[in-house]
Amino acid sequence: MKNLTSRLKPLLSLSIFVLFVVVFYFLIGQDKTELPSQLIDRPVPKFSVRDLLNKDLIHTQEDFKGKITLLNVWASWCPSCYTEHPFWQEYAKNPDIQIVGLNYRDKENDAFRFLHEQGNSYLWNLFDENGRLGIEFGVYGAPETFIIDYDGMVRYRHVGIVSPEVYKDIFLPLIEKIKKGF
Amino acid sequence: MSVFLRVKYLFAKSIFVFLSLVVASNSMATIDIYEFDDAKLSARFQQLTYTLRCPKCQNQNLADSNSTLSLDLKQIIYEKLKAGETDQQVLDFMKQRYGEFILFKPEMSRSNAFLWAGPVVFLVLFVVFFLRWYSNNREIEDE
Repeated sequence: MKNLTSRLKPLLSLSIFVLFVVVFYFLIGQDKTELPSQLIDRPVPKFSVRDLLNKDLIHTQEDFKGKITLLNVWASWCPSCYTEHPFWQEYAKNPDIQIVGLNYRDKENDAFRFLHEQGNSYLWNLFDENGRLGIEFGVYGAPETFIIDYDGMVRYRHVGIVSPEVYKDIFLPLIEKIKKGF
Repeated sequence: MSVFLRVKYLFAKSIFVFLSLVVASNSMATIDIYEFDDAKLSARFQQLTYTLRCPKCQNQNLADSNSTLSLDLKQIIYEKLKAGETDQQVLDFMKQRYGEFILFKPEMSRSNAFLWAGPVVFLVLFVVFFLRWYSNNREIEDE
């Protein structure tokens, strides 16, 4: 009996060591600052917000229905949004999707200037001056991008710049999947 | 001490007092933006902003954070308390939007039950193994 336990001991310590290595290996790659969205596979929250460029136009959650939408949260005060912006002109060429902007916590004139200087790739823009719509979406920084399907269901949220790599590796496959009925 | 030194000392002292008053009044100004008539409401506001995490700056609570998002969330809490909502309603609102993560003190759920049960399980295992080891040793001694 004693012989058996003394023989098992190194095996036990080895397996504990291996367990630790495996656990830490998987923890190391994780980005702890990225929050999972609570909206995944849920409908877009109800809202009623005016258009950025057309004061009299009111948008609601119904406007997302019938098309695959990429909803991009941007602001003129957000440095990464300037880096990201030229990419949207490319993505806007994709006939399968509509690209909509959510102008987050911005001043109207600054937002105008941003679109004027950087170009406007958005079909329309929600004007979220006080940031309340952003909070409904669980936004905690810009840029963020939501993928919304034909029925107005949120399928994905990307935090940070949608680089061509992210677009090719994550966005396009998901758009294909949604087209096939998810 | 010469008169000159004394005057110089007094001058330095008064500048110090003046500066600290300026600093103090400034920090007062940034703290007291949420005014409640009711002390209970004010206490609940303090409690909620202490227990909710700032989603943007993850190691701060809302009370300590001055990020725009935290200010917005505090404003929402303020409005909700004024409108007569319960603490639970406020917490649910935050959880729905930012997830369990926003609570500094996590609630027990199926996914984290293991973590809550962990210490109890380890204690029980320890006691069981200890007793077995102890009784084994006693047997050896008795022999």
